[in-house]
Amino acid sequence: MTSAVAETPPAPTGEDAPSSLGASPGALLWQRLRRKRLAMISMVVVAIIYGSGIFAPVVAPYSYSEQNLERTLEGPSADHWLGTDRLGRDMLSRAIFSARTTLILTVAVVLSGSVVLGVGLGLLSGYKGGWIDGAIMRVGDVFGSVPGLPMLILINATTRPRVDELAVWVEEHTPLSNELSTTGGASYFTVAVALSLFAWVGMARIIRSQVLQLRERDFVLAAQATGATGAGVISRHLLPNIAFLIILSVSAGLGAIAGSEIVLTWFGVGVQPPAASFGQMIFEGSGARTFQAHPHLLVVPAVFVTSLMFAFNLLGDALNDAMRGR
Amino acid sequence: MAVYIIRRLLWLPFILLIVSFATFAIARFGPGDPVAVAAGQFRDPEVLEQVRAERGLDGSILEQYARWLSDALRGDFGESFLQQGFTVSELIFPKMWISAQMGLLALVIVFALGIPLGLVAARLSGTWIDPFIISSLLFLRAVPVIVLIPPLLWLFATQLDLLPVGGWDGLFEIWWIGGVIAIPIPDPHLYLPVLAMSIGGFGGVARLVRITALEVQQEDYIRTARAKGLSESVVAMQHVLPNSLLPLVTVIGFALASIIEGAFFVEVLLGIPGIGRFTFEAVVSRDYDVILAMTVITSAVFVLMNLIIEISYTFIDPRIRLGESVRT
Amino acid sequence: MSSQNRMLGILLGVLALLVLVVGGLSAVLLAGGGDDDGGGDGGGTTTASAGGDDGGSDGGSASGRLRLSGTDPITLDPALVTDAGSAQYISEIYSGLTTITPDLAVSLDLAESLEVTEGGLVYTFTLRPDATFHNGRRVTAEDLRWSIDRALAPETSSLVALSYLGDIVGARERRLGVSDAVAGVRVIDERTIEFTLDAPKPFFLAKLTYPTAWVVDRQQVEANPRNWTRNPNATGPYELKEWRIGERIVLEANERFYGGTPKLDEVLYELSGGSTLTRFENGELDVASIGVNDLERAQDPSSDLGGLYSSAPEMSISYLAFNTDAPPFDDVNVRRAFAMSIDRQKVVETVFMNAWLPATGIIPPAVPGYTTEDKTFGFDPEGARAALAASRYGSAENLPRVIITEMGGGASAAIDTQAFLEQWREVLGVDVQVRQTDRATLTADLDAGRLQLFNDGWSMDYPDPESVIDLKFHSQSALNDVRYENAEVDALIEAARVEQDAELRLQLYRDAERILIDEAAWIPLYFPLSHFVVDPSVEGWFNPPLVMPRLRFISIAD
Repeated sequence: MTSAVAETPPAPTGEDAPSSLGASPGALLWQRLRRKRLAMISMVVVAIIYGSGIFAPVVAPYSYSEQNLERTLEGPSADHWLGTDRLGRDMLSRAIFSARTTLILTVAVVLSGSVVLGVGLGLLSGYKGGWIDGAIMRVGDVFGSVPGLPMLILINATTRPRVDELAVWVEEHTPLSNELSTTGGASYFTVAVALSLFAWVGMARIIRSQVLQLRERDFVLAAQATGATGAGVISRHLLPNIAFLIILSVSAGLGAIAGSEIVLTWFGVGVQPPAASFGQMIFEGSGARTFQAHPHLLVVPAVFVTSLMFAFNLLGDALNDAMRGR
Repeated sequence: MAVYIIRRLLWLPFILLIVSFATFAIARFGPGDPVAVAAGQFRDPEVLEQVRAERGLDGSILEQYARWLSDALRGDFGESFLQQGFTVSELIFPKMWISAQMGLLALVIVFALGIPLGLVAARLSGTWIDPFIISSLLFLRAVPVIVLIPPLLWLFATQLDLLPVGGWDGLFEIWWIGGVIAIPIPDPHLYLPVLAMSIGGFGGVARLVRITALEVQQEDYIRTARAKGLSESVVAMQHVLPNSLLPLVTVIGFALASIIEGAFFVEVLLGIPGIGRFTFEAVVSRDYDVILAMTVITSAVFVLMNLIIEISYTFIDPRIRLGESVRT
Repeated sequence: MSSQNRMLGILLGVLALLVLVVGGLSAVLLAGGGDDDGGGDGGGTTTASAGGDDGGSDGGSASGRLRLSGTDPITLDPALVTDAGSAQYISEIYSGLTTITPDLAVSLDLAESLEVTEGGLVYTFTLRPDATFHNGRRVTAEDLRWSIDRALAPETSSLVALSYLGDIVGARERRLGVSDAVAGVRVIDERTIEFTLDAPKPFFLAKLTYPTAWVVDRQQVEANPRNWTRNPNATGPYELKEWRIGERIVLEANERFYGGTPKLDEVLYELSGGSTLTRFENGELDVASIGVNDLERAQDPSSDLGGLYSSAPEMSISYLAFNTDAPPFDDVNVRRAFAMSIDRQKVVETVFMNAWLPATGIIPPAVPGYTTEDKTFGFDPEGARAALAASRYGSAENLPRVIITEMGGGASAAIDTQAFLEQWREVLGVDVQVRQTDRATLTADLDAGRLQLFNDGWSMDYPDPESVIDLKFHSQSALNDVRYENAEVDALIEAARVEQDAELRLQLYRDAERILIDEAAWIPLYFPLSHFVVDPSVEGWFNPPLVMPRLRFISIAD
């Protein structure tokens, strides 16, 4: 399904939704959000998982690649709280480093794809209208219509070798020694760019429809009448009014992106071993027979991924509610 | 309106042209080709070159594309390397049909359960039941399919021995009563895949229905209806649901369109000969003709579905005019 | 409000449409399902008839019906087949002049007698008088000549015909379109055919056991060049009865088979995948393969699977290969250091639960020339460090970047690669990077010589050491993807090509193998084993080490 790539959040359908936020939508939003216990818990969950990702080298008891072939496939113990995998690596440490991978990937995709491309093109399309609008939307049709998953695999498979070569070249010609390729930087980059190609369409469509409504509103018309430039109108009047939409889409998109990593890694075009990722852990633990014999191989990454995605879902839901004045 | 529809339809060939050329170029610029993959461990460069020429894979990309295009326009999508001796159409459509049957079934279940659950949640907004329903459905949605299937298999196929471990045997199995009355029951091979495919879907649909329903409930005419003393179910059916239709139509439309893409993980893990699995195999072995046919067909379906959705908006809400602000 | 009524109308309309569509759909499918069932089983009160004809619900096996799992064949054209999955069906449906027997000897099949003359250059076969196609037509020498000519013809586009038939005079010219006929194939009379080789190659007969050299029906192929393989008329012990892509293949005994009517009436291959062991345990399959996770249970004689389990070697090898052209692996000492610093024994024990054997050389078990003695480098950290120090790099810091490439996605090999990465780091202090690619990229990079170190495997198609030592390591071989060049090895291989004394010939290959291992062109990793459980009712089952006709030897007890 294309939804594996990025999912558009349920957009506000009524015109009243955003406008009811008044002058300072952000503060109001935060106020409403703070009253929601579920949302707060979700934020804590996201913060814990992302936080452990950021501080992975400090938090994790072992390295993600440290093997001990004498102690493979063990269940939880005092040494290894969540057990060990087939190579005797600590599952907890691998999960923490996987969180780091997810963190990097989600941030990279959101910054490159959904937000920059999506917001930019959506604003442009909605504000300018005319042939620019038509062109952007038709291009969106194209990207929105091709089957996302096969194309992602194809693009990754075909461009990855070139990106890798590029990374090696950069390293050999700059002081960066092994930073790009050993940390999997190059593979993150390819995955992020490929995901972004398809992730911007939904975002752009939502932003556009919002801008279409806003641009007929009094304050925008007034600004235009006083001779404000397009860029000025956009940055001063439109952007603040759609900031909430951006946040909403991003929070809904994060979960989907985290999910895409799993899918891509499954196909061998995602994050490369031995760098840990949830996709890899799940791949190593899935399979009906493996699950039967060593359930912890699947359960550990599954719990992490599910809590993260669940938290993102709840958060998106709460944000949505808050924005509708509840 | 007719003019608008025609204008959009005229776009279709251009979109397909762009999509097919882009796919063609990406696939061919990438390393590897179907001939080398098909050769397996015997890759004699001289023979590979020869076969490439024999299969029309030599010459510039433009030349090859032109050849493909002229064949495709005549309805010939070429031949697969993964299943030699079959045309691409002979392979794709039966597999697509299998995936579509399964997808449609899952979709019907998702909406049949998701919509009422969303309405109930909206109605009970403010009580504990609303967040309970929505968050438990959202939880199901958070579990990746890949993670879901092994435990399902373990539980239903191995431990309880209730369901087959995989395979495909058509949609229905027939129970004969007295040799006269035929009762179709869904084939047991279906339960696990349909369950795995639909479990994540409820959350999205229920949430959407709930949000729109809540929105609509604040509108004046609903308050009026309630004030008139109409029963809740009547209000829900006659007033709330129709007005929640707009976003639902979008979701249903795209969900319908995406069933022809197949569900890769479900197909692989449960051994279903669907299109999702086949597309993947085609991609990794650069089975150019299959990849192209798939992208072109999917693109066409999505573009058409987009148009159908836009048109249906005008029926649902007469205030919407085509070609203007189309809200997603 | 009128718009309200309108919406309600639309809603009801949509619902009605949905009902109609679903109803209509199920009606159509119902009709289809009914066809499958034939008349259904009448009588009885509430009898459930299985939707398809899977015999699972019958309990036990029908007499003479074997149920296996399989995959969709890529092709059923013997001239085109390149993969084991397809060859498995082809070797039951078709047959050729020679075949491989269960004890791995090359024997005559369609041919009744063979005369080798002119010092091993000319092979003259006489066909069996009783050999017929499935449709009853007699097989003639002309059928064979035409089939071989067709396999080599450019129009057939075969990728492998030259690999197996290339020793016949004129085969190369025919394949490359230079000539219109294969000069070295001559029909003497209706039952006699003669092949002339470019050199007296003793492995020619073994190569003829590969389907590319087998017989197809000219009339059928010419009448329907595109689709004939969907119902091939051939000479093997089984006929293709049904093939539903992704669902099943059914083979039916050929009563006219010259080797006597096969004992199994029907063989069903389930193509849909999923866990075959669970299906076996549910009584849906008669044979299932065993994966790493179930090995312990299957090998335990007291378990429910205990008595049903067996394992067999395969004629294949899994290895790490060095590109001997690419630094740092153009230095033999670096290659040796890498080979000595991995502990395959440990990986096989802990990661693969002894499902495979650690490779003892390059020539796999069951291939003539195989010896049990371990010729490979053992795990030797000291030796590894010494080798690295002796290399022109001297130490790990001076090594260029090393990348190991392997096929990713669905491959289970990654896990042992990860173990090796750690061992290389611990023993040598070298940080090797992994790159996973898809099949197409891997093949392309490999052929272009872009890889440094890669994870690969090789399976024999005929039981002769030529099919690995010569093909993979002769400096002129197109398949020498490690780009290994050694005049001494070349000389040994060339001598073995024409050596008529079987024992001397094997010795030449063994000598070459020893040099190849010492020079560490490959790091041989494992000799794969197949593990399987077989229902007690199946008699004579065996898992051959390579694809060969076997169903004719198997039967089912009542």
